[in-house]
Amino acid sequence: MRNLLNFLAKYNHVIVFILLESLALSLLFESDNYHNIKFYHKVRGITASAEKSISNYRYYWGLREINERLAMENTRLRDSLSMFTTRIDGGRRVISDSLINRKYTYQNAGIVNNSTNRQKNFITLDKGFKEGVKEDMAVISDEGVVGLIVASSNNYSVAMSLLNIDMKMSAKIKSNGYFGSLSWDGVNYRIAKLSEIPQHVPLNLGDTIVTSGFSSMFPEGIIIGFVSEFEKTGSDFYDIDVELAVDFKKIHFVDVVTNQEILEQQILEFRFQ
Amino acid sequence: MISNIFKYSLTFIIVVLIQLLLCNNIQFSGYINPYIYIFLILMLPYETKSWLLLVLAFILGMTIDIFTGTVGLHTFATVFAAFIRPGILRLTAPRDGYDTLYGLSMSTYGLNWYLVYASITVFAHHFVLFYLEVFRFDNFFGTLLRVILSSIFSLAFILLLELTRKGK
Repeated sequence: MRNLLNFLAKYNHVIVFILLESLALSLLFESDNYHNIKFYHKVRGITASAEKSISNYRYYWGLREINERLAMENTRLRDSLSMFTTRIDGGRRVISDSLINRKYTYQNAGIVNNSTNRQKNFITLDKGFKEGVKEDMAVISDEGVVGLIVASSNNYSVAMSLLNIDMKMSAKIKSNGYFGSLSWDGVNYRIAKLSEIPQHVPLNLGDTIVTSGFSSMFPEGIIIGFVSEFEKTGSDFYDIDVELAVDFKKIHFVDVVTNQEILEQQILEFRFQ
Repeated sequence: MISNIFKYSLTFIIVVLIQLLLCNNIQFSGYINPYIYIFLILMLPYETKSWLLLVLAFILGMTIDIFTGTVGLHTFATVFAAFIRPGILRLTAPRDGYDTLYGLSMSTYGLNWYLVYASITVFAHHFVLFYLEVFRFDNFFGTLLRVILSSIFSLAFILLLELTRKGK
């Protein structure tokens, strides 16, 4: 017994070390894929208010630019709206019904917390369960693709940013429709990598890369970025750098996209997997 | 004793704030993320009990984790750094040993000693942190480059902090 006590006294720091490290590791691996998620539920309440006040300051300083962008977006939307509300034959107004056969719905959300300087970046949004924001919903901004919701609590949700080395999405070249896989390599927050595009495909600098619509979350044709560099490697595929359309250091508002038919699609696909 | 605790708590708050508000927003090409909060582990007095050091490191890592939205990542790396600190101190001990009267500061033991002591600790901390973050060994050297570059930047910040401490 005394030996045991002596042993414990002598190596107490090793024991404390092992205890604390295993605690840290268990936290780290509590949820399998994304380290953060469960912890977010618990901690969000504590830090969200502090983060909100910080993001309020940032928001204030960015107001001028936000205004300009909103005005531009308004113009664009009014322009596209005019397609649906044109007057034909004698002033009768034809309005296409937006409630039937509407696959995607959009709702606005503000960004509470955002990072770009880690390898696995996440974005916290100020909408949660209460507003119907759930896992696997796409997050886009007026400029392009932002990320994917991975967890949500009552009032907040966490999206995996496109700037996350675990994020992989299907993307295609707008001009010719060839699709590949887009991911971020963790180096430059403006550049992502597009792979699996075969080398016989004609490719130009500045080609637009959009979502392919093969995933059940993202609508087809949302802009991801533009080809900024490409080279032929030893394999059969190009090595393509895509400059992201969204500047992740500047986003304040995003849209959360709900696919109304996601369940239908997944149930159908489930039978063949 | 009480005044010491007060002093350390104040430094804790200041350094954590600098880390969260300044250093977490630094970005050069994705390779450099300085983590200067490890300075708090470096500055604790020599005679600090090792278990207390570990517990303090745990609290520090946890604080950083909570506010950067990571879980256990900084905690693990910081506790690790605290664990190897006594070993590093023994390794870098000056000829006459350490004087418990004075803190572990650059003004007491000189720039060379502080550089060696701080750089080993910072490198170990960053090494564990960055590899745990990506949690994969492909692109091993890319991560290593991030470790080295970030360590250099952190070290520069830490030297600045240490210089301001000297003035007190």
